[in-house]
Amino acid sequence: MSDNQSSTDMRLRPSGSGLRFLPSGSSLHRLSALLTLLLLIFAFSFTSPAFFTMNNGLTVLLQTSVIGLLAIGMTMVIITGGIDLSVGSVLALSGVVAGLTIKAGVPVLPAMGLGIVAGAFCGFLNGLVITKMRITPFVATLGMMMIARGVALQLTGAAPISRLGDMFGKLGNGSFFRVVEMQANGFPKVIFPGIPYPAVLLIVMALFGAFLLQRRQIGRHIFSVGSNEEAARLSGVNVDRTKIWAYTASGALAGLAGMVLMSRLVTVQPNEGVMYELDAIAASVIGGASLMGGVGSISGSMIGAFIIGVLRNGLNMAGTSAFIQQIIIGVVVIGAVYIDQVRNRN
Amino acid sequence: MLDVTAQDAPLVQMSEIYKHFGGIHAVEGVSVDLYPGEVVGVLGHNGAGKSCLMRILSGAMLPSGGKIYVNGEAADLRSPQDAKHYGIETIYQTLALANHLDAAQNLFLGRELKTRFGNLDEARMHAEAQEALRQLNPNFKNLKDPVAKLSGGQRQVIAIARAIYFQAKVLIMDEPTAALGPSETAMVADLTLRLKNEGIGIFLISHDMHDVFDLCDRVMVMNKGRNVGSFRIEDVNKDDILSLIIKGTLPDGWTPRGASK
Ligand SMILES: Nc1ncnc2c1ncn2[C@@H]1O[C@H](COP(=O)(O)OP(=O)(O)OP(=O)(O)O)[C@@H](O)[C@H]1O
Ligand SMILES: [Mg+2]
Repeated sequence: MSDNQSSTDMRLRPSGSGLRFLPSGSSLHRLSALLTLLLLIFAFSFTSPAFFTMNNGLTVLLQTSVIGLLAIGMTMVIITGGIDLSVGSVLALSGVVAGLTIKAGVPVLPAMGLGIVAGAFCGFLNGLVITKMRITPFVATLGMMMIARGVALQLTGAAPISRLGDMFGKLGNGSFFRVVEMQANGFPKVIFPGIPYPAVLLIVMALFGAFLLQRRQIGRHIFSVGSNEEAARLSGVNVDRTKIWAYTASGALAGLAGMVLMSRLVTVQPNEGVMYELDAIAASVIGGASLMGGVGSISGSMIGAFIIGVLRNGLNMAGTSAFIQQIIIGVVVIGAVYIDQVRNRN
Repeated sequence: MLDVTAQDAPLVQMSEIYKHFGGIHAVEGVSVDLYPGEVVGVLGHNGAGKSCLMRILSGAMLPSGGKIYVNGEAADLRSPQDAKHYGIETIYQTLALANHLDAAQNLFLGRELKTRFGNLDEARMHAEAQEALRQLNPNFKNLKDPVAKLSGGQRQVIAIARAIYFQAKVLIMDEPTAALGPSETAMVADLTLRLKNEGIGIFLISHDMHDVFDLCDRVMVMNKGRNVGSFRIEDVNKDDILSLIIKGTLPDGWTPRGASK
């Protein structure tokens, strides 16, 4: 007691007075990630003139949308202190379910809905295995990664499903505000390529995800479970239900990402999406999510997804080989986490 | 116990509670009761089973055997929510705070206030938390910091504020002042007496004999998981209690000491 006596007064003084206007903690991380992204865009604009163009910007947006959708769910799962290795495979299985349903004569929209439900169901199973069977998330979702891929390949005999109709390609290839002008010579000229549906979808889902995490009870519970599961339980948080919710959301978003990707290809490829889970994890981690749980944000993960997308796209344009790209992205992931840790230690 | 009038029924009655972890017998057939407006001290050496007994009443731990009655009716406390429904609030020894959340977010964790649209009502939670914390510690200012950044004493103040904010009928305090300085400890002592006078029943786990003699109406001593004695505080002195805690028995030739404290 007497030991506490002297230090109590000092400890109770208000902290951080004066420096409050400086960003701290996670917002600082997001700021540095955003700066990194801008720097990358700046650098690539110099190395290849075609990089900083409207068309290429939209391409990046389109390419990033799939990883971005996966990263939204992944971030929620990572904040609970878990991981979801199954999203790449679930994406493929959802596509297969949608493709087969269309082939069975169901219209595109309900079929796509069923594909997303299939993804959500896979996520729900992940949640059940993790909470009720008490299997660690790594192992449970590793299992689901193999199971979902196996089911997808088994259902299709590993063959792509094509000729799904024009309507199936709309989600992945359509865009808002596309302006095309007929020229005098009879050829159409694209004045504004439009904002691709997938990009709009990504923005809508990211805003919705951020709203759930920041403004709703479920989000608060997701953070509390990842921060201190026992404290959350003792406070009356239904820990199992919270985790199941997060994995189900991740599965559903993987399903949605599957719809976008397969629609863009206008074909269902049962072997699509391999290793996408790693890109999604990398996006979350670059964006400041902690694999220890309790920390992370959708906005950060979106920046992370775009860092990966811009890196891929820019390196491609600069003629860097796919192998070197892997190496660079690997270094970026480690570097992002290392910088964050160094900063936290100070 | 079931034939007495409701007025006289104990607020809480724990009867023949057992808790085993494999071969470890943490609680061995302990019975204890608590009446409105009284403070019962739960004493014992480290590892005697005090926290386990109290966690069973909090719904945080399932007993291996035994029954719990609240207001004379059998209560099945399978989760912390169940216990909270009965008005049983707990200040855990471990404090049970989520490090990444701030004071208000912790205070309302699991019982968030919401707006008309079901969104989190941060403004109201913040204001209420500020009010609740200021009552315990007028200097409490860093409400927006994650609690990981706060001192042990500040964290403890949050845990206490959380337990009393929700109008407990039964309050379990597991070493509530372990990390507090003298003025905060005095504040908690005042608070304990105030709550007691409001008719709340309090279980107080403490190793501090001053607290015990100042605040408790009765004491229950545990030794190696067993209840080795329940006494009115007037009937024992410090040496008797220490003997019970250490040896598990009263000194030779003990007789109730009456009010000769
Ligand atoms: N979750 C658990 N699993 C296994 N053993 C446990 C668990 N919780 C408590 N125990 C054991 O039960 C016994 C009683 O522990 P308890 O925490 O109730 O002691 P305590 O009286 O509160 O001690 P202290 O004064 O140190 O807080 C100890 O031997 C402890 O090791
Ligand atoms: Mg204890």
